Amino acid sequence: MQFFANTDELHQVMKELWARIGRDPDMSEKLLQSKLIVQFQYREPEGRVTVDCSDGKEMRVTVGKQPIKPIVEMSMKADVAHDFWLGKVNVPFAIVSGKIMARGPVAKALQLLPVIKPAFEIYPNVISQHKKVMA
Amino acid sequence: MNPFVFHVPTKIAFGEGLASGTADIVKELAGSRALILTDKPLMQTGIVSQILEGFADMKYVVFDDVPPDSDVDCVNKVADIARAEECDCLVAIGGGSVMDTAKVVNICLTLGGEILEYQGLNNIAEQLLPLVAVPTTAGTGSEVSMVAMVKDRAEGKKLLFGSRYLAPSVAVLDPLLTLSLPPKLTAATGLDALTHAVESYTAVISNSVFTDSLCIDSTRMIFENLRAATKNGGDIEARSQMLVASTMAGVAFTNSGVGVVHALAHSVGAKFGTHHGIANCIFLPHGMQFNMDAVNERYAKLSRLVGISSSRKDSVAAAELVDAIEKLCIDCGLPRRLRDAGVPELKSDDIEELAFLTGSDPAIMFNPKDCSPEDIKGLYERAY
Repeated sequence: MQFFANTDELHQVMKELWARIGRDPDMSEKLLQSKLIVQFQYREPEGRVTVDCSDGKEMRVTVGKQPIKPIVEMSMKADVAHDFWLGKVNVPFAIVSGKIMARGPVAKALQLLPVIKPAFEIYPNVISQHKKVMA
Repeated sequence: MNPFVFHVPTKIAFGEGLASGTADIVKELAGSRALILTDKPLMQTGIVSQILEGFADMKYVVFDDVPPDSDVDCVNKVADIARAEECDCLVAIGGGSVMDTAKVVNICLTLGGEILEYQGLNNIAEQLLPLVAVPTTAGTGSEVSMVAMVKDRAEGKKLLFGSRYLAPSVAVLDPLLTLSLPPKLTAATGLDALTHAVESYTAVISNSVFTDSLCIDSTRMIFENLRAATKNGGDIEARSQMLVASTMAGVAFTNSGVGVVHALAHSVGAKFGTHHGIANCIFLPHGMQFNMDAVNERYAKLSRLVGISSSRKDSVAAAELVDAIEKLCIDCGLPRRLRDAGVPELKSDDIEELAFLTGSDPAIMFNPKDCSPEDIKGLYERAY
């Protein structure tokens, strides 16, 4: 059974997670330095989260279809994303086995992996708070 | 046992003189108009003309101007020619640059659109046109790999393409084609193959017995034959063993990835144009020393299995493997420091830039140990 019941739930959780990442000075500073626009495209359920660091000053996170053209697109099942944020995904293995697709200059995005690792500790809290609200 | 995925999408054929039958292989793949890619030096050796004799009864077009470090302009130019000639299959005769160019041209030719649309990993989800790879060096493994890299000179970047559909349909391994390789290139490409084998064996996802077997045997074959192939280029048995070992290591790394040595070599190659095999042979012992505390046991196992060490103590067996690689490089006349390979003095700005390039190279993701920017800078300083 998939973890996220529907697109709304997926979008709410991811938006809250990225908002907290944006409030973390270490992570947000390094993400903004990258000036990347990364779009995460999810399936089962469908979802789309765009993280725009292009101006280097403010991290803008939007969900759903956006007119903005991402520099890097990462596609995966929403369950893979859930496991990733729990720190349970071996990214190299997920790429080699085709579970994660990446379009664009992937090296730039992969370089951010160590940067966002502290979010693995934030995510369970985001999930538990979300579940309380839903209950 | 850990989970693994293992692909060998390429049919591998080996034999002396086999390349002269390349046209028959193309016909078996239902190709009727072949685009043949190669480079000028190979055209001058006569190797290509021998292969072309077999194409006498079918339509083909030859592009013989693939540069050593191929780029987007070359890919677009070749793709335009292939479209105009309505080519329905590709043949790559050459080293890594020729084969990688052919793979990326194949994307453009089959799927259309802009090359940049396909940059990335696992983006290509359909079968491409048949591609026959005929390697003329024993090192890159591109004849069986699922990745390709070309330069975007305008942007000063390397573009990475990765998909199982990128792997050639057939790899034609003909050791006769490698006989004319000069000693230095023989040694450098051989060390590229050895680096594939050693890094794949210790890569972070290298848990498959399939990749392990290929790494162990290819390492052994390289140790047993590279000196002979370098010192006596006409030694057909040594050439054969090296060609097969290189392809085996290619299958291994395309399934398990490489590591920090390749990330360092890609970066120094991008900045100073250092030959990939030369860069790998300089960085390999340093990379192994760096990874030693993480994969000491694996190095020791490899050292024993290929007959380098008989010590039961892992630290001793692993150190003996590093020493044996160092000795192999020296015996083959390869430079041991970056400064001896034409790299100018590394200033702090250079090291900063190289550390950034290395840290963002996808190969580093597969290294068995995390590398900080300071670790990478240290590796450059030691290798210089």
